[in-house]
Amino acid sequence: MAFLYPVNFSKRDSLMGIVMAAAVVLTGCGGKITLEREVHPIPEDADRSVSAPGKPGSVFVQSSPGAPNTFNKLVAEDAPSSEAIALLMDGLTRYDPVREEVVPGLARSWEISEDQKTFIFHLRRGVLWSDGHPFTAGDVVFTFQAIYDERYPNRGAYDLSVDGEPFEVEKIDEHTVRITTPEVFAPFLLYMSREILPRHKLIDAFEDGSLLRQWSIGTAQRTPREIIGTGPYRLRSFRVGERAVFEANPHYWRADEAGQRLPYTDFLVMTFVSDQNSAMARFANGETDVEAITPDNIIWVERTAERHDFTIHDRGPSTGTSFIWFNQHPGSDANGKPYVEPHKLAWFTDQRFRQAISHGIDRDGIIEGVLFNRGTPLWGPESPANTRWFNPDVKQYPLDLARSRELLREAGFDWDARGRLHDKEGNRVTFSLITNHENPIRTAMSMVFRENMQELGINVQVQFLDFGTVVTKIQSSFDYEAGMLGFTGGIDPSGGMSIYHSRGRLHQWHPSQEQPATEWEARIDELMLRQLKTLDFEERFAAWAEVQQIMSEQVPFIYLVTPNAYAGLKNRWNNVEIPTMGSVVWNIDEIWAP
Amino acid sequence: MKENLFIQAARRPLGLAAMITLGVLYLVAIFAPFIAPYQTQTQQLQKTYHPPTGLTWQDGRLQVKVYEQVDPTVYEPIPGGAAPIRFFARGFEYKILGLIPWDRHLFLVEAPERIYLLGSDSTGRDVFSRLLYGAQISLSIGLIGITITMTFGFLIGSLAGYFGGWVDNAAMRLVELLMAIPGLYLLLALRSAFAAHVPSDQMYLLIVIILAFIGWAATARIIRGMSLSLRQRQFVLAAEVLGQSTWKILTRHILPNTFSYLIVAATLSIPAYILGEAALSFLGLGIQEPSASWGLMLSQAQDSKVFMMNLWWLLIPGAAIFVTVIAYNVLGDVLRDIVDPKMKVQSR
Repeated sequence: MAFLYPVNFSKRDSLMGIVMAAAVVLTGCGGKITLEREVHPIPEDADRSVSAPGKPGSVFVQSSPGAPNTFNKLVAEDAPSSEAIALLMDGLTRYDPVREEVVPGLARSWEISEDQKTFIFHLRRGVLWSDGHPFTAGDVVFTFQAIYDERYPNRGAYDLSVDGEPFEVEKIDEHTVRITTPEVFAPFLLYMSREILPRHKLIDAFEDGSLLRQWSIGTAQRTPREIIGTGPYRLRSFRVGERAVFEANPHYWRADEAGQRLPYTDFLVMTFVSDQNSAMARFANGETDVEAITPDNIIWVERTAERHDFTIHDRGPSTGTSFIWFNQHPGSDANGKPYVEPHKLAWFTDQRFRQAISHGIDRDGIIEGVLFNRGTPLWGPESPANTRWFNPDVKQYPLDLARSRELLREAGFDWDARGRLHDKEGNRVTFSLITNHENPIRTAMSMVFRENMQELGINVQVQFLDFGTVVTKIQSSFDYEAGMLGFTGGIDPSGGMSIYHSRGRLHQWHPSQEQPATEWEARIDELMLRQLKTLDFEERFAAWAEVQQIMSEQVPFIYLVTPNAYAGLKNRWNNVEIPTMGSVVWNIDEIWAP
Repeated sequence: MKENLFIQAARRPLGLAAMITLGVLYLVAIFAPFIAPYQTQTQQLQKTYHPPTGLTWQDGRLQVKVYEQVDPTVYEPIPGGAAPIRFFARGFEYKILGLIPWDRHLFLVEAPERIYLLGSDSTGRDVFSRLLYGAQISLSIGLIGITITMTFGFLIGSLAGYFGGWVDNAAMRLVELLMAIPGLYLLLALRSAFAAHVPSDQMYLLIVIILAFIGWAATARIIRGMSLSLRQRQFVLAAEVLGQSTWKILTRHILPNTFSYLIVAATLSIPAYILGEAALSFLGLGIQEPSASWGLMLSQAQDSKVFMMNLWWLLIPGAAIFVTVIAYNVLGDVLRDIVDPKMKVQSR
């Protein structure tokens, strides 16, 4: 599951400027490429960065496995597109992953009403789009209009609504907007970091129905300057399959304390590569400035650290989770054949069986062998990486075959003379596990799991399918017994609604239930709604902590391990603050190199 | 035929070398459980990507060096540390030729030390053992596949040539259709058409069928040509006049005359099966974990760290495929030279 959480937090931030000028020229003095920046006055409401003032210039190079396929926020559903758009555009708020809180973006400040449903945003004055046109409340209203318009189906319409009801967005004056949610909506401010679109540029397309066709890859290739935003960069050139070059936006609304407009970097070059492996190879070769390094590749990447002057930073556990689950869907297909054979369904719905399996998994072995000692065992839905929301008091299942056997015996299972496990009715305990074959770490983990189950006398057949087939099986045809997948983590529990709420589509062990099938699922539903419908952190945390607790107690997902996250970064960059989760260069506008 | 084809081939140095190589490979594959110290799926998570263990002569016997892990995936031999190799020691249980249960192995070391003649893979499994078990799949797939192909190729080709007319026409158009589609794409299409996912124990059979399905066309076409000319020969005409059944004519008169061609064609096309299985498994569509096949093992070696960290032993399955394919091709060439001296490419 590549992409679960609706909001994408990436790099960005910062700027300031002063007078004026026109042409932007690439000059090649002594091989060093610099941008002759247009100089514009810094807006009156410019955001002042608190990081130490730096020196403008320099080029930041990064690889992107997979290229953006659109620059239109309404169309973008994949990570590379969302990341590229985040460089070009801003939302009303921003998320600061180091302080772990929502901070002002295009809105300078906001007020929250008594009933916590109405928000009044005060927009920054004097902010200009990258083509010099002023940014006003009209743009905000237009953005929501476009999102909710039925002619333009997009993910935002789903994310920015409560039970299918959209928010009300009104313009009070040129620099004030009021947004009302139909009910209290916990992640509201976080979701307000969604990029605002320029009305003056897109209104014609909006009127004539062609909005979704705007700002395509074709636009980026032919007329990159047509794609405008308020972000730290603007697009300079885009070449399919090669690279995108971004240059500093001379109208950006952030500046440092010395009055220098951000970003410090002149150019950001995003090179498209085929996969993570080649991205890491490029970094190890000194060709890029930053790269996420997977635990199993650190050893060889590290070898060139001195020659290319970079450091690999240990970011602790990553936010991604991996787990095994059993299909607990009691339904049958069109021919009346049950998705899961009834006697197997009886095992899978037995909490003791699932707990026994969990106790039988050698997580430390997986970490030592597969992740090269660079991982953390996982017991619940939240990775320890998310320090704000992680509940450490969940039930843990260390490798304990004696306990495992005890649980199985309690549940009526028994072993024959050759050590093979049988259930009450004498059925041999055996099941198949599906997983996708694209991920080598997952392949290795499934093999370890298979061996672990052998110890308990359980025979597991692992089936490797391509990712699409796995998704079809778990979301529509339901004809499988067990699966192994992972979720990319998010920063807010509200992103887990579709997973933990029994009506959710990603509630994989038994998706899209009309009524919760079990008491504990009903309790989770209640808690998930409670955390969604309040703005109070304490109350939300209590609810989410209990969900983590129930999930670990009932083990519908048998959590495995999370690899530690490592980031390679060249040492020449200053003002870098690496957060525990999210992008390493989330403050791309503030970093600078001498 | 004056003399057995293979005896003639064995008189030539190249032919002999190829036959010996193949003989050794097949013997090793048949006795894989005896020669392999470990099972294909036995893991050792504390020793992943272990380099091949060195051998040393110590205390008057052959011993393996003992290594310590200095960093994950980095191992260094402990000076003076050694574990004796025990020959014909007891290990995991297996059945010789699938019949006689036994538990002796050619060589083993005392647990917890392990002998990795060709290193270990991502979960600490012994590459040498996997290579031997993989040989069972990779080598047998060619033989079984070619048997099916040649049977079908011969039947369809000879019937088409013998009967001529619309039978010939229909059969040859079908052959052309199959030959017109690029092999690899046909392979992939058939693989997904037959079954999107099959249990891994049936996968082996499925691959053989797919490969045979693609392979019979070329053989059928040539046999058809041969039988077309053979049926005009007097001995066939005589048999017809005497009222022999079609089946008898095919088996008694046509088959013997195409036999040497079939042998040569079979030898030359076995490599295609081995490579076909390797390609499917490499793409994740063939043999699946935890079984071993050379193609599957090779696909696990495409990770960038294999090259970056010089884990060369993971590429050995590639060398095994190379050696087998070369041996078959050389043998095929030699056989062809004998059968058809006009096509000879080199002097003796």
